[in-house]
Amino acid sequence: MAGATQVLPRTMPRPAAWRRRGVRRAVTFYLLISPWLLGFVVLSAVPLVGAFLMSFTNYDGLNLDYVRFVGTDNYLRALGDSDAQYALGRTLLLMAVVVPVGLVLQLVLALMVNQPIRFSNVFRTIFYLPYVVPVVAGVWIWKIFVDPTGGLLNALLGVVLPDVNVRWLVEYPTAVLAVLTIWGAAGGGMVVFLAGLQGIPAEYREAAMIDGASRAQVTRYITLPLLTPVIFFNLVTGIIVALQILVQPMLLSPGILGLSPGTVPPRDNYLYVVHAYIEIFTKQLFGYGSALLWVLFAVVLGLTVLLFKTSRRWVFYGVEP
Amino acid sequence: MRWTTTYGPVLIAATVFALPLFWVLVTSLKKQSEYGSALFPAEPQWLNYELAVALADFAHFAANSLFLSGAYAFLAVLVSALVGYGFARHEGPGRNKLFVLVLATWMVPNLVLFVPQFVMFARLGLTNTYWPWILWGLGGSPFAIFLFRQFFASFPRELDDAAEVDGAGPLRIFLQIYLPNAGPALAASAIFMFLWVWGDWLYPALLLHQDNTTLAVRMANAYADPHGNPLQTVTMAGVVLYVLPLIAFFAFAQRFIVRGIVTTGIKG
Repeated sequence: MAGATQVLPRTMPRPAAWRRRGVRRAVTFYLLISPWLLGFVVLSAVPLVGAFLMSFTNYDGLNLDYVRFVGTDNYLRALGDSDAQYALGRTLLLMAVVVPVGLVLQLVLALMVNQPIRFSNVFRTIFYLPYVVPVVAGVWIWKIFVDPTGGLLNALLGVVLPDVNVRWLVEYPTAVLAVLTIWGAAGGGMVVFLAGLQGIPAEYREAAMIDGASRAQVTRYITLPLLTPVIFFNLVTGIIVALQILVQPMLLSPGILGLSPGTVPPRDNYLYVVHAYIEIFTKQLFGYGSALLWVLFAVVLGLTVLLFKTSRRWVFYGVEP
Repeated sequence: MRWTTTYGPVLIAATVFALPLFWVLVTSLKKQSEYGSALFPAEPQWLNYELAVALADFAHFAANSLFLSGAYAFLAVLVSALVGYGFARHEGPGRNKLFVLVLATWMVPNLVLFVPQFVMFARLGLTNTYWPWILWGLGGSPFAIFLFRQFFASFPRELDDAAEVDGAGPLRIFLQIYLPNAGPALAASAIFMFLWVWGDWLYPALLLHQDNTTLAVRMANAYADPHGNPLQTVTMAGVVLYVLPLIAFFAFAQRFIVRGIVTTGIKG
């Protein structure tokens, strides 16, 4: 008893010790996150500031001697750049097709494999596989599939329409690009939807069924409203990704040999980031290209903020299981 | 009737999804003379696979890819786990704001960040080396940091207290308690980090040269005969060889992830 009263006060920290302990805790925390913090400063913060400054110069990526500030010239030029406007138009068009179609497909796939069906694991794997396939392989897969000489698509169409000879990559390059994009992204979105579906308590659906709701009604009035946060997440990430598509159109050139950093995609697939890429790495206009990219960043940010604002009207967050 | 309404749509969708992949396999087994003339090969040409390995110095580029992806995945996962542990279990001023910053870097368009990094790497003489990937790895990955923070936050705190009483420091607690119990998160993030480098075409195309580049860049060029005519069949064999390890790896790791979740579930 006497021993206990003696021990207790000694372990009770006094204010100064508290402060010392707080400092030690803070030091521990900062030491633990220091690799990221250092990486953030060196690989993100400094480059971003540099990129922002670069967008106000005529920097060519090589020579620092000739660098001079050009004020807002690059931004004014970007606003009047007809190639940039054309490319932005193509990008928004692609986005307007790929995002809604992709979203619906991902949701339908998730609903299908979430049913208690046989081989659902096999189906899940098949739908997920294209998401794992690297971009270079994905481009080859579709290039060969739509190839007028040895492709399967024209052969299948030939069953219905004899003598069909569509040169897909020349005549409809954006359609091929859209299909490739939707096919490649479907699995990733599907998995997110699946996780969302599995987070909905089964009692909700069962209760509605007991009240006499049909399967379609349960999907429409129970499942979909509860999935709106997931729909919103996939919508936002889908738009951010769609606006930045670069490698697929670069590699999806009609020539069979030409997949190289220097090729320019067909005019139809001349997307905004492709334009920025060519201005920077082909024409060596690092300053101007950086300005183009900051404009895109502003567009992305603006769209995201707009989506978050509208989300209050249709995204349902109040689920407490 | 009921069978067709439930299985019909799934089977159709699965066929559409798998058809292009199936066609690559079929094409890779044709004779070049059969390309464009016969729908299916008269006899599977396994020789195409030997040619794909021999003609492109496949093993060399595969080794480059393996090293680069492996080194990046190893570093990024280890660092991200440590940083995620810091964010989940330790406190310091500005912790929440810093975590928002982690997520914010995730949102910045890739090229906006890469262009100035490229300039910086070029100025420091790090282009044509593997240093950029090592540096990226050492800085951790926002996605993986987020994953580990969420994962470690669900660990019972009593473990830390018990270890602290035994006199273990934060680093030892991380290495001996948190890391060994992070199987599923380690596997999942390692796969995605590995996949990112193995599949990436842009950064190696811009940062490396012909010899030390990755398989992705090499596979972007078609195989050709000595006259410069493309060999689609051999190219597809190469593409299959490029993708197959990933699929095998995924199939193997998926089981591991499931097992990891089950064992941690039992422990929790």
